[in-house]
Amino acid sequence: MKRLYKNAQIASADSPKLQTADVLVEGDRIIGVAASINDAADAELIDCTGCVLLPALFDIHVHAREPGQEQKENIASCAEAAINGGVTGFIMMPNTTPAIDNAGVVRTVLESARRTRIGASIYTAGAITKGRRGEELAGIAAMKNAGAVLLTDDGFPVDNPQVLRRAMEYARDHDLPLASHCEVKELSGKGSMHEGSVSYSLGLPGIPSISEEICIARDIRLAEFTGTHLNIQHVTTARGMDTIWRAKQRGIRVTCEIAPHHLMFNHEDIGDFDTHYKMNPPLRTKEDNAALLEGLIAGKFDVIATDHAPHTPFEKNQDFASAPFGITGLETALVSLYDRYIAKGIFGWDVIVKHYSAQPRTLFKLPTVPITEGGTAEFIVFNPNRSTTFRREFMKSKSLNTPFLDKELQGHIERVIYRGEELLAR
Amino acid sequence: MTPRKDLLDIASLSNEEIEFVLANAAPFKDLFRRSVKKVPPLRGRTVLTLFYEPSTRTRSSFEVAASRLSADVTHFDVELSSVVKGESILDTVETLEAMQLDYIVVRHKQAGIPNLIARNTAASVINAGDGWHAHPTQALLDAFTAREVLQDLNGRKALIVGDIQHSRVARSTSLIFRRLGMDVAYLAPGSLMPRQIPDEIQTFGNWQDAFDWTPDIVYLLRVQSERLDEPFFPSATEYHNNFGLTDARLKVLSDRKLWLMHPGPVNRGVEITDAGMNYERSLINQQVENGIAVRMSVLYWLRPGAAPAV
Repeated sequence: MKRLYKNAQIASADSPKLQTADVLVEGDRIIGVAASINDAADAELIDCTGCVLLPALFDIHVHAREPGQEQKENIASCAEAAINGGVTGFIMMPNTTPAIDNAGVVRTVLESARRTRIGASIYTAGAITKGRRGEELAGIAAMKNAGAVLLTDDGFPVDNPQVLRRAMEYARDHDLPLASHCEVKELSGKGSMHEGSVSYSLGLPGIPSISEEICIARDIRLAEFTGTHLNIQHVTTARGMDTIWRAKQRGIRVTCEIAPHHLMFNHEDIGDFDTHYKMNPPLRTKEDNAALLEGLIAGKFDVIATDHAPHTPFEKNQDFASAPFGITGLETALVSLYDRYIAKGIFGWDVIVKHYSAQPRTLFKLPTVPITEGGTAEFIVFNPNRSTTFRREFMKSKSLNTPFLDKELQGHIERVIYRGEELLAR
Repeated sequence: MTPRKDLLDIASLSNEEIEFVLANAAPFKDLFRRSVKKVPPLRGRTVLTLFYEPSTRTRSSFEVAASRLSADVTHFDVELSSVVKGESILDTVETLEAMQLDYIVVRHKQAGIPNLIARNTAASVINAGDGWHAHPTQALLDAFTAREVLQDLNGRKALIVGDIQHSRVARSTSLIFRRLGMDVAYLAPGSLMPRQIPDEIQTFGNWQDAFDWTPDIVYLLRVQSERLDEPFFPSATEYHNNFGLTDARLKVLSDRKLWLMHPGPVNRGVEITDAGMNYERSLINQQVENGIAVRMSVLYWLRPGAAPAV
């Protein structure tokens, strides 16, 4: 069966300009992209007038919470949440209970992933150290053989630089990238938000920017020394970003992520102790927001990744210090990025396609999914003229811990096509 | 003035509300000179004190204030309750909600707990101190006390000395003093001075500079040794020598006729000496007495069903 996506605006990683075209899909392939396709009478016709077609997204930083924290999320609900947000593949973080720190758990979660509608595109990271305790190396080679694509103790840094050095050497030899959650724990202390004017007035212990920045500098130096591909997760400060940028210019194998919430929100949004703005690393300042946005546009970040971190309402409805860190992101990322930036002309669709579809895949040596003749049919039909209200009923994640809950944003994901199959049409 | 359910901090109060509470505290204080100190406005109302942090003074002050307004006062004994069994705060609040209380006076070591409780109960919540965040009734009683001796606070100067970082008193009292027209400065060791404080607050690192600023009030904070889990200063002696009110510094206060305040309880030999406790312009006991009057005024102001005040 064929489907003809008629009169669409095609987005690509190469140019902010959209190209008006018809897209013909047969099986799992795009068999035609042309200004006007009129010889496909046997195809189902889908009028895409006014809609943007963009390659489906890939998120390298997702907490699917399986095994052991299924009250928050499981791989099945996480996959549906991803589809709901136009994300057709992701990498799961290993801070589960127990941690994904051996080949057995890797196989278990991948098996669980295979049962979802995007099973072939869900990958997992393995922990760097056993139990993510930062002490002994996890079974890295065995995890790689079982399918792990990344090493990280995400949520924690590896405190001991000697342990991290050994892990990097091991990761390099097994051709696995290693991702760092950068934080000097002694400097973060009991902090629950950015240390600054708002932490002063709310009387909350702060996490200073230097906690993150010092660890970024240390980990980059170790990566340079060991020759390992290092990915710095969720960068939040202008200075941290600059440190990474300088390292890249020196030719060090370092890449980095920006999370949408660190672009859009800052510590002032915490207001009256709103735990939907509590995450680690924390929301920083307006000045950081501006610098990070400029950095994203200038290409200083390799990927956009949400750090999708579901927590139950019960867990989040505590006092600020006791509530867990993290917000969900898979379902809201694309629409919020559109609403805040693309709709306002701050950046073009190419930024999204490049950083949230193409480069995340390239980083893990996966094929990209540009909308070109002969390519895999894996794309999103996005309607800029409709809006989305993130109501409870709209969400597929088990958790609702997002500042966008019940908010109406411009833009709507109408269809998600994965390997030729329409996973979502609304 | 719109009716208000809760008193959670100073920042959210209007100047009109602050003046209303301070104005009503005076007639309540006058009652204390009578043999019968009790008046009826809260008859039939129930006040519950919910203290997750030990505090004999503040709790007693609230209990006396509530009794003098004829309210029924109950204490929720946190040590003996299921809190120690891991019951969540909101579960506790749900239980309290079933008791249909009129007021919950709460103290907790975490900032924002009173805000959380206030969002989940119909009772009026009064913050009796939450973490480093706020202590609004302390601020109101400090303002009331300062006005008793200085009358108009406009243009006057208060120097707040000590552990600013961990002090809800510094945060709330500096706010109310500034609202009433005072200039406020902080004097603290660098390790206990927050890095980002409002621009309007000056900071000093030694007494000489602070004295040169010519304060009218010197407000000492308690050194909260129980909250200092890291080495913020080398020793209590070193703190006393550098930041305490030594006898030599007390003499400067005395010579210049400066007023001395402290939220209590004091650490003798750390932030203050025995001589300091007996200083003629010490307002410390007056603060305690005024605390009751101001808390009566707060309870009266927030009384359930109160019509918008005129």
